[in-house]
Amino acid sequence: MSSTPASSGLAATSKTKGAGLSDRWFSVLLITPAMLITLIFAILPLAQALDVSFRMGDLSRGKIGDYVGLENYRVVFADSTFWQAGWVTLKFTVVAVGLQMLLGVGIAFLLHGATFAKGLTRSLLILPLATSAAVTGLFWRYLYDTQFGVMNWILGSLGLPEPNWLGDYTIALWSVVLFDIWQWTPFVALIALAGLQALPKEPFEAAELDGASRWRILTTLTFPLLKPVLFLVLVLRTIDCVRLYDAVAVLTRGGPGTATETMTFYLYRTGLKLFRMDYASTMAVFFLYVMLVAAVFALTPLLKQFTDRAKEA
Amino acid sequence: MQRKTSVFVETLRYGTIFLVLGFFVFPIFWMVLTSFKPEGAIMVSPPRFLFTPTLENYAHALHDKNFLFYIKNTLIISVVSTAIVVVFGSLAAYSFARYNVGDGHILFFILSTKMMPAIAVILPYFLIFRDVGKTAIGKSLHLGLDQHGALIVTYVMFNLPFAIWLLVSFFQDIPRSLEHSARLDGLSRIQVLRKVTFPLAAPGIAVTAVFTLIFCWNEFLFAYILTRKMASTVTVGVESFFTLQGILWGPVAAAATISVAPMLIFVLIMQRYMVRGLTFGAVRG
Repeated sequence: MSSTPASSGLAATSKTKGAGLSDRWFSVLLITPAMLITLIFAILPLAQALDVSFRMGDLSRGKIGDYVGLENYRVVFADSTFWQAGWVTLKFTVVAVGLQMLLGVGIAFLLHGATFAKGLTRSLLILPLATSAAVTGLFWRYLYDTQFGVMNWILGSLGLPEPNWLGDYTIALWSVVLFDIWQWTPFVALIALAGLQALPKEPFEAAELDGASRWRILTTLTFPLLKPVLFLVLVLRTIDCVRLYDAVAVLTRGGPGTATETMTFYLYRTGLKLFRMDYASTMAVFFLYVMLVAAVFALTPLLKQFTDRAKEA
Repeated sequence: MQRKTSVFVETLRYGTIFLVLGFFVFPIFWMVLTSFKPEGAIMVSPPRFLFTPTLENYAHALHDKNFLFYIKNTLIISVVSTAIVVVFGSLAAYSFARYNVGDGHILFFILSTKMMPAIAVILPYFLIFRDVGKTAIGKSLHLGLDQHGALIVTYVMFNLPFAIWLLVSFFQDIPRSLEHSARLDGLSRIQVLRKVTFPLAAPGIAVTAVFTLIFCWNEFLFAYILTRKMASTVTVGVESFFTLQGILWGPVAAAATISVAPMLIFVLIMQRYMVRGLTFGAVRG
């Protein structure tokens, strides 16, 4: 933490002013409130989760008890429901993120070429993002209703089969996916659109002059240039899908059976319905570990780029 | 890309855009529409588009279910959290952007906590607030379970990384030379912050505030688990319309419309600046 060229610029004048505080201390003072909160409320809970994961913690029988070594980890990893929940989470994430990226980028291209009512389309598209999944998700149960729902009314009048959206265990997960697509495809679309509009003009003009086909321009120019933006969106969406909770909680509560029980929902059920704080904490530690490893791998390039800019500036 | 586009392609394009927008807008439209339906027009097949509008669902939600109570809680918690996030976040972000404090490492640490899944820390939070609420400090700051302070602290923690991330990118856009000349004019560092930097960063700070407010307003998991009744927010309040007899869709739609409307209006006003916020400042939309 030596004094960098960046900070010396303002330091020179601070001497003349004689404010009594060096730039170094001033900068540390500025981050102290945020740091304190982050340290206390990120580290403390993690330490506690780690601690409980090594102890007996059946809250229905009283307090957090003695240390049991790795017993909780053994139980959790031998628990087929746990792996089942992992499988559900994986299926959900891959399908939801995949479709959101595909549809979102498609919509971005569609809107990029449009000139009419640009502001209005964007305003309408952004609306799902502003709503709470817990609130609109609950209302989607009405849309999905087999008797009075709009979904089946539309399908029915088109002569298509009318599924039992949330009650059929082979379909329920895809109904949650559809809701997530509704809420988050606009996110992908709007960012891909911003990325498209920020592309430099020159290479495209040159390619046109050379008589390159549309397909060639798309695959050799547009997508490579869009890649960083799309990668960022992909990472953000994947993180959110893996830790999805709200939509499951209001749409299906993990059911029917355990058909839509994701990792987060199983963790919640174990800890706060069955009061097995020990097993739940063990899952939380495991979950956090996986997320952290994945996030570090995915985000290091992004964060590095970002912190590098902070250094230069 | 000035290629000639035929009328057919353009018709196809706008037709598709229309369908796409229909899909994304319809559920919200249907929710608002349902909130004005009389009871007899809700549980019917086929769904009804024409009916005599009524305010009875709003009366039910606001009067019988006391939904204003949840709105009040949400307002207090969201606004206080946002204020703290914006103040602490701006100070820290400025320090990162200008002084590069911690040489990137501290910034990296703070940003990485953004990836922390809420569910992984929810049990410790539950236990911590349960215990802290019994202490003298906890009592005076309302930090116990089902109290405003507990949610405020949680929301501050969970929104700070995002806010800092976004604010750093805004502060980086402000030319350093402006601050420099203000310093030469004899202003102290704090005065420079107050009179030069923060006013210049005001749009960015406003965007960050709106985002934080939306996140707090819409948060469900912490509110659901850390509150029971006294500090419950709108997202939890809507859940209370689940009854043993089933869900009262009319009042649910009314409550949902009330709770979603403020954020929809915010987003419509801020639409132009939203993209940058959504990508943590990485895409300057």
